[in-house]
Amino acid sequence: MEHTRKRLAKCEEGITYLCQIKEGSDWGNLSGLTSKLEGLKNSFYDYSEEQFSDEVSQLEESLTFLTERCQEDISPMDRVRIVRSPLRFSLKDILENVYEDYTELGGEGEANIDPAMVVAKANILRRVKNRVFTQQVMVIGHEKGHGEEYRNGGSSKPWGNEKALRFMQVAETEGIPIHCYIFTPGAFPVEEYPGAAQQIARNLYAMAKLRVPIVSIISEGGSGGAEAIGLSDLRLMFSHGYYSVISPEGAAAIEGRVKDGLKAPKELVEQCAEHLKITAEDNLELGTIDRIVEEPPLGAKHDDFAFFKKLRYEMMRATDEVVLRTKSLRAFRAYELKLKKSDDDDSTMEVDADTTIHIDINWELNADERKRLIALRAKKYREMASKAYCSETNRFNDFWNSACTKTAKVYYTITYDILKRQQKQVEKVIKEVSGEGSSFLKRLTAPFSAAYDFVVHKPAGRGIVRQSSPSPRQEALALEFGDTYTSPLANEDRTITCPNSLKSGCKDLWIPDLYGEFCGVCENCGHHFPLEYKWYLNNLFDRDSIQEFNKKIGAGNPLNHPILRKKLQPVKNETKRESANITFQAKVMDVDLIVTMLYSDFRNGTVGAAEGEKFVRACELAKLQRKPLLAYVHTTGGIRIQEGTMGVIQMPKCTVAVRDYVDAGGLYIVVYDNNSYAGPVASFLGCSFYQFAIRSSRIGFAGHRVIRDTTGQDIPPDYHSARNALKRGHIHGIWDRRDFRRNLHQALMTMGGRNLYYR
Amino acid sequence: MKDRVLIANRGEIAIRIMRACKELGLDYVIVYTDADQDSQHVHLAMEDQDGRKRAWRVASYTDPNDILAVADHTGCTAIHPGYGFFSEDYRFARRVTIRDRPLTFIGPNWEVIKSLGDKINTKRVANRLGIPTIPGTDGPIYNEMEAEEVATQLLDNQQQQKIKNPSILVKAAAGGGGMGIEEVFRIEQLRRVYRQVQNYAKRQFGDGGVLIEQCLRDYNHLEVQLVCSRHGERLHFGTRNCTIQSTGRQKRLEAAPGFDVSCFTYDFDAPKVLRQIVDYSLKLADHVNYDNVGTWEWIVARNGTPYLLEVNTRIQVENDVSARISYLHNKQPNLLREQIRLALGDTMGYDQKSIDFRGSSIELRLVAEDTNRGFAPWIGTISQFSFPQEDWAAVYTHVPFDRAYTIPSEYDPNLALVLVWGDDMTMAKNRARQFLDGTVIEGHNNHGEAIMTNIPYLRGNLERLLTF
Repeated sequence: MEHTRKRLAKCEEGITYLCQIKEGSDWGNLSGLTSKLEGLKNSFYDYSEEQFSDEVSQLEESLTFLTERCQEDISPMDRVRIVRSPLRFSLKDILENVYEDYTELGGEGEANIDPAMVVAKANILRRVKNRVFTQQVMVIGHEKGHGEEYRNGGSSKPWGNEKALRFMQVAETEGIPIHCYIFTPGAFPVEEYPGAAQQIARNLYAMAKLRVPIVSIISEGGSGGAEAIGLSDLRLMFSHGYYSVISPEGAAAIEGRVKDGLKAPKELVEQCAEHLKITAEDNLELGTIDRIVEEPPLGAKHDDFAFFKKLRYEMMRATDEVVLRTKSLRAFRAYELKLKKSDDDDSTMEVDADTTIHIDINWELNADERKRLIALRAKKYREMASKAYCSETNRFNDFWNSACTKTAKVYYTITYDILKRQQKQVEKVIKEVSGEGSSFLKRLTAPFSAAYDFVVHKPAGRGIVRQSSPSPRQEALALEFGDTYTSPLANEDRTITCPNSLKSGCKDLWIPDLYGEFCGVCENCGHHFPLEYKWYLNNLFDRDSIQEFNKKIGAGNPLNHPILRKKLQPVKNETKRESANITFQAKVMDVDLIVTMLYSDFRNGTVGAAEGEKFVRACELAKLQRKPLLAYVHTTGGIRIQEGTMGVIQMPKCTVAVRDYVDAGGLYIVVYDNNSYAGPVASFLGCSFYQFAIRSSRIGFAGHRVIRDTTGQDIPPDYHSARNALKRGHIHGIWDRRDFRRNLHQALMTMGGRNLYYR
Repeated sequence: MKDRVLIANRGEIAIRIMRACKELGLDYVIVYTDADQDSQHVHLAMEDQDGRKRAWRVASYTDPNDILAVADHTGCTAIHPGYGFFSEDYRFARRVTIRDRPLTFIGPNWEVIKSLGDKINTKRVANRLGIPTIPGTDGPIYNEMEAEEVATQLLDNQQQQKIKNPSILVKAAAGGGGMGIEEVFRIEQLRRVYRQVQNYAKRQFGDGGVLIEQCLRDYNHLEVQLVCSRHGERLHFGTRNCTIQSTGRQKRLEAAPGFDVSCFTYDFDAPKVLRQIVDYSLKLADHVNYDNVGTWEWIVARNGTPYLLEVNTRIQVENDVSARISYLHNKQPNLLREQIRLALGDTMGYDQKSIDFRGSSIELRLVAEDTNRGFAPWIGTISQFSFPQEDWAAVYTHVPFDRAYTIPSEYDPNLALVLVWGDDMTMAKNRARQFLDGTVIEGHNNHGEAIMTNIPYLRGNLERLLTF
């Protein structure tokens, strides 16, 4: 009888699970099943044991049938609900069942700096021909828990991500691989130090060159929060997980322009989930993940022990793969072969029989292997999303470009690496020698020159008036004020009220003055009114020094999203540009630099595959030519949602590229203007050591609405202001727009990287 | 002429502009603030209603939006900025002339205001034309070595000229109004001072540029009055001497012409120096295409060397002191009337030869202030206010004679301008004394203390006029 009761309980769990997936019992004859279950539960003692067993069997049968049907036409939104179900397995289950033993670091339930982020040192067992090997790994992942409030649904706070980063570095010190488990709907969008965006950026920057193998696996991959521990050598995904740029509800709220406080209609949410291509299959096809880990129908629950065994096999195999790739390709191939053979051998056996590995592989790497590991990682990310943008390519062009790059490489290596070093040496010697010499000479000639001065006294001219000698500095200043470009905003005889007029008593500003001479800055209080990006192009850089490159790389529509289908071409026609990122070479007071500029007119400066690719190429060019790199952010609204994970993947992709540039001795400066939010700030912008903001700009992770929806709290209006960002330590200085050019020049002169040509 | 002029100023100048407009047959509109509602300029405009409202209250004399709104509403075609406030604000002049409903700005065109409003630029242009300026740099210096070189040369030169206690001034290029100026006597001090000023300038103005100039101590402050038309005609109305100033560099006593050999034995040929500075002034005016009234300020050292200081691109308070020694067809001209007429596009109608300079004149600025305590302004209510009536004197004031008047604390406590003239400087000085003796100003402040004016100071300084 007890056995039957357990079966009934199991059925009940199954039905609840289905109800959760389908959001209520309206689907199929779920309601019939529910009532039958209720009936059985209530009349438990009315049946004989056999009768009851039959009834339960019937129920089980119809449940299985329903489960199969559900699995057959499972929708993306169903997967989202599967992933969020409290019955689904969580990181704790994995730690207990996949690993042999573990110690959680810095956390015990609620007593944790961030209960949503769990870090544990774990042992994993490998049995080869009756011998047992223990290997250590650092397990880092989000803990959703099974509905506990304090776990915050796996939405980790900035300090949680910071903890993750700290223990990644511990793993690096100890030389053990890292397993990342991603169970997050997104990062908790608060700006308190270390700041949601900035911490994710720091994590990405560190992970780009972490010298140990990293394997990550996604169950719920919500955009930035997922990326915080998602940059890895091998990315797996659970077959019922989702990986997306934004939650389908969030996308629907934006797409449907849903008013504050209201919920998006259910159909729209379903539709958005469909369009965003968030499932494991979609992501595998798009190349954002490497492999899918199959789950039982409708996803694994917390007690699917067979699944955990399989997961252990998959994680070990993935780690082996990463390690072996660094050793040599041959070893890797041999391993694959062996694996296949064992697969074939066991193919007749039960499914879980092939989840054992028969070879022992040491996960420690030597110096060369670490180098190869990082190179492979960089390569992997460099090639991501390479089909998601439009560019005019043909074989000849490719060949020509690569030939050009190679020649340039040789040229710059000779000029800067070989010659410059020699020259520096020679200069140093000359300087030392001449310094010695002149002091020696001086002592020798001092009496004579004094006598000479006495005899031949300089007849000074009457009224010494220095003629205006056009020193470079002066000329540059003159250029600054010689205004030939005036913002089109200025062509209006109208006044505008400064937003601070009540507080600071500013007079109304006359538009032609404001947008002309005042550079869009209120003279009285220094409030900066937004200016179009062309103003910067014309006023920030030396005249005629701008040379755009990669102009042809254009934003595409990799997911064939209906919104982009409708709106992309018009925006291209309107702006006469192909993407939201302009990359060019320019000069600021005679200092050469490479600039990448996200601007608002093109889909609010959102970053998609094309923008990311252009950024990466700008990094590469800057590295090649030994020039400083400036990321000027006129405006960015985040990752372009309609490009889905093709957009999200730009975060690690660009960060890896910029890390490479900085490590090569470059200087990377970021300047924020107007509004800069979300993904880009949480990755390739936020990772810069030198971030500045134009006054009156806003920098943050999520807007006030998202913050209210996720945290339930209203934020003050100046929450994201540059001043507060500076206070929190997110940025390193605030610049006045009127002094932008001078500040930039000063920054370039005082902070140059060690390999830049002008040092 | 159908022009209507908006008078964007207050006090005696508003009244003078008002009268000039009426004499020219032009309509006018004035603006005033709350604090000024008892001022005579408001009363006069209120009385002069004839069915039209001529006085409009604004929040501030320096709010362009208010003033232009009044101009548009009343259908004005021109704006007279007076002196102070918007008179040398090229942005205002530009806005007035390029807006959708353009108005005439009574003053030089805005480009001239801008280029001459920048002292460093003026100096550079003057140097290019061979006009003497104060020895020193005419552009910001950013380099310590360069600064030292210039400073050494300046100090050496002064030593050669046997100037006692030679020194130089180190100034922040972006500064103004006496901020960020340090004096250096010996070259050894320079480095420290240079760094100090540079850092101050960097912090305060965001630009570390520094100017270095010879420091002049023993000098007279002269001015050349120019009147130009929009048609390229440029005349001068002689020179005046404005050396006697309060501690805050506010002029208190002026006299025309600029030098008078009866007052002092100069080390130089005074008429020649006066001719020189007039010629230089006209040269610069020609070069920049100056097209309205303006004043060229000069410094003349004891040895007679003139240096151009700056250009005031506006009508000045003391314009009348020059007009009182210039006779046009045997009549003293009204420069305000000339200014308005020429700004509205009239031609001059006479040439330099028809201006006859004769006699001397003195301007006394009557201010309620405590001259013994750093010229501190005195605020209170005036109960008695009267001047002698003479045909060799004129008084310009916004203080009413027929009723009590409270000096508004928002503005400078200027009471009146008194002009006296005579056949020579001795006569003018005597008349000035006589006039001051006949002047009655009574009043009390909140504490019941009697009014303080600068009349004793003015009387005491009359003898200092035109001397070194």
